[in-house]
Amino acid sequence: MTGQAQILPGNLDLLILKAASLGPLHGYGILLRIEQISRGALLIEQGALYPALFRLVRQGLLKTSWGTSENNRRAKFYELTPSGRKRLRQEAADWNRLVAAITLALGAQPEEV
Amino acid sequence: MKLAASLRSLASGLLRRSQMESELDEELRAHITNRADDLERSGLPRAEAERRARIEFGGQERYKEECREERGGVWLESLWTDVRFGLRSLRKSRGFSAIAVLTLALGIGANAAIFSMVNALLLHPYHFRDLDALVRVWEDRGIDEGYDARYVAPADAKELSTHGEVFESLTTYEMRSFSLGAGSEIQPVLGCKVTANFFDVLSVSPAAGRFFSPGEEQPGSDQVAIVSDGFWKRRFASDPHLLGTKISLNGRVYSIVGIMPKGFDYPVPVELWVPLALTPEEQADRTQLSLQVLGRLRNGVTANQARAALAGFSRRLEQDYPKTNTGRSIKALQLRKELYVFTLPLFLLLQAAAGFVLLLACANLANLVFARMIGRQREIALRAALGAGRGRLGQLFLSEALLYSVAAGIVAIMASFASVRTLRASIPAGWTKWVPGWDGIRVDGNVLAFTILVALGTGLVLGIATVLHATHVELNNTLKETGSGSVTPAKRRVRSALVVAQVMFAFVLLVCAGLTIQGFAQLARVYQGFEPASVLRVEIALPEKAYPETVRITNFYQQLLRGAASLPGVQHASLITNPPASNVDSETTFFNIEGQPKLKSGEAPSADLQIATPDFFATLKISLVSGRFFSEADNANRAPVVVISRGMAERFWPGADPVGHRIKLGTADAAEPWMTIAGVVGDVRQNWWNPVTRPVIFKPFAQSAQRSMTLLLRTAANPTSYVSGIREVTRRIDPEIALHDVTTLEEEVTDSIAIVRIMGILMGIFGLVALVLSSVGVYGVLSESVAQRTREIGIRLALGAETAALMKLILGHVLKLTAIGLAIALPVSLVISRAMTSLIFGIVSMDVTILAGFTALLFLVALGAGYLPARRAMRVDPMVALRYE
Repeated sequence: MTGQAQILPGNLDLLILKAASLGPLHGYGILLRIEQISRGALLIEQGALYPALFRLVRQGLLKTSWGTSENNRRAKFYELTPSGRKRLRQEAADWNRLVAAITLALGAQPEEV
Repeated sequence: MKLAASLRSLASGLLRRSQMESELDEELRAHITNRADDLERSGLPRAEAERRARIEFGGQERYKEECREERGGVWLESLWTDVRFGLRSLRKSRGFSAIAVLTLALGIGANAAIFSMVNALLLHPYHFRDLDALVRVWEDRGIDEGYDARYVAPADAKELSTHGEVFESLTTYEMRSFSLGAGSEIQPVLGCKVTANFFDVLSVSPAAGRFFSPGEEQPGSDQVAIVSDGFWKRRFASDPHLLGTKISLNGRVYSIVGIMPKGFDYPVPVELWVPLALTPEEQADRTQLSLQVLGRLRNGVTANQARAALAGFSRRLEQDYPKTNTGRSIKALQLRKELYVFTLPLFLLLQAAAGFVLLLACANLANLVFARMIGRQREIALRAALGAGRGRLGQLFLSEALLYSVAAGIVAIMASFASVRTLRASIPAGWTKWVPGWDGIRVDGNVLAFTILVALGTGLVLGIATVLHATHVELNNTLKETGSGSVTPAKRRVRSALVVAQVMFAFVLLVCAGLTIQGFAQLARVYQGFEPASVLRVEIALPEKAYPETVRITNFYQQLLRGAASLPGVQHASLITNPPASNVDSETTFFNIEGQPKLKSGEAPSADLQIATPDFFATLKISLVSGRFFSEADNANRAPVVVISRGMAERFWPGADPVGHRIKLGTADAAEPWMTIAGVVGDVRQNWWNPVTRPVIFKPFAQSAQRSMTLLLRTAANPTSYVSGIREVTRRIDPEIALHDVTTLEEEVTDSIAIVRIMGILMGIFGLVALVLSSVGVYGVLSESVAQRTREIGIRLALGAETAALMKLILGHVLKLTAIGLAIALPVSLVISRAMTSLIFGIVSMDVTILAGFTALLFLVALGAGYLPARRAMRVDPMVALRYE
């Protein structure tokens, strides 16, 4: 399992929003999508995905509908709502700022201080 | 947006619970199947793929629970579970539940019953539109007058009504006794003369007919009357054609133009209203404060603003009319608060006592619950081990406590329907009809809301106490123990604190109840200085028209007294303006003492003024202190004399005999004659609410006759047997005169303190409940704590401890707790009793015997509560005790 990182609790929501922003997906689909877009670098506890999905639905960031999956099974699909889209933009920007700041800090050289 | 989504999620979660459950199931199952499919595709056998998929997914049940929590509504759902659990355990332990519910119901019910009185008498005494805008207005002369004496001079009232910046409208009125009918059919009725806008100010409408027109305020065109619903029903058998009927009042013919709806009884329950028609001279009068005034404040004007404006207005009147208005100031009080002077102290006291009963009930129940908690420790520990968080456990206890309190609230509400009826009926209607709002004492929406709030509050307090007590259960210890769970020192301290608290509450409540009962018992003896037994009292009001001047009035009453005295068995017959226990304050007057500096009104001393015939003092057996009583010789042709009360003599002539000194009524430069003090008589309390016996000046009737007097007869036999005789005597003198309020003085005295008696009884009940609750509570806690020490006692006994020494140990603990409770309660009850003294008419005074008595009583109860279980524990065979656990 080298090269895989355990994700921080708060980041799972962000990743789900990102995955769902690329098109409606069912729960397992979201899992696969995250693995795919992170090129397998992120390790997600599969079960933990669902409480997070329920939370996002309750917050009105995702909406759900029942439909048929690619292998003809009944499945619950998650889709981004407009406020979900807004939140995704906001959190992505926050995240980028945070990463940039931390990268900058970690890259500091003794002579720069 | 977010809130809406949450609510939707919550609502759908609650509404479609089973559907959501199956969908959740399906969703997770689909995930695992999908994963298994993928794994199978990568080469695993199907069975292995499914196993791997399940393992990768993790604990399904845990995630499901988390999903449910995320969905919202979980607390409601678990609350429902808890309530069902609570109901089950309530059914299972019936005895405990019954005690818990009844104890709380007692406390809550007491509060509900008293609140129903507070609600009716203090908050909604009248049902007029915008009640708080109605204010009573009167002129204060700087004498400390009772609330009865709130009058305005007619000319001042007129200026007030044109003073539009404060009042939207203003009405004046005057109570009057009328003789209804003619000849032998004559009957007394109580009526009220009112201005034409009277009913508009109150904003009521007639049940039938019309109100008065302004034209009917003119003397001569004022012979119209509006009658009460009771008058219509009782005297005219609900005659549908009453309007237009002519009736005779004081010999004048009035035509009935309106009927008031049932329940309208302002200013007091009168039977009819007639126009107040004043002559121009009467209207211009500024000397006599004779009219009552009620105003409706302009929209947005507060009572305080009105008071300020009226103060300015009175200063202007003082400047404009210095002769009459000096020292007078116009006051205003919201109509709702007019009776506060009586109702506020009495009912606040009762409400406070009821509150204490509830606190005591809570402490008692907390004890029971905590005791039960020890038995439940394993259950709690198990729940905690299975993953119930502190919050979840707290919710369980809270919902149990709420369940008890809500059940108690329901019982209390059901009981309060009966208790409120009993309370209402416990005081004679003849007295309560004068108390505005008394008929409104019932369990209405406000009372229900109050009761529910009290019940919920009680449940919350109890629940939170239980949670605080229970949530620090030490998991491991309890689970490891094989026994029934132990009592930690912290818990023992809590229980000790409860004993202390109970002793404290009980003591404070007992002392308050004791003091009040003692005070009320004293009140029952308050009418001292005279003998009410075997005295008949009859009120007479001579109409102005037939009795315009003194000679005719004096003649009538002289004949009446002579006729009454000639009835066989009548020992004394006399007249007085205001007999004791009349529930009406006497007229007060300023006076000046000859030879002392002249004082302006407002600074001059004041006294109650009474007019009496010579035999009055003998009739009531009032003692003579010095000088003499009046005699027949003190008539209009002789120098004016007065008799004063002992209290007045001691206050204004300390250490000297005032007989022979002269006083003058009114202000120093008033045209009143100087009157010589002929004698000093014993003090008589006028009404029970007067904190002290007021100074009284008696004037002889022959020198200052007036139309309204009360006839008093001291009789040898049952006084009521003289009623027909006195009616006959009156009829022979003047058949047009009606006799009002014919009762015995004894009955009057009893009735007048009925409210006081019922307060005493209620306080007594509260005190008794307090004693029972606290004995049971203290006994319960102590017997439990002794029972828990059975093993310790066994060991001590086995090791050779003396029974007596052990007993001393246990009882010593009990006494220590009681002593601590009393040490806290003593200063508290001293403070409370001081407050009570100033609150309730000065009738309560701290009494050392009460304090000592209740201290001893509580120690006895505590000793008994400790001794019984201790003796039981001593009897136990040490071996049994050791095996006990």
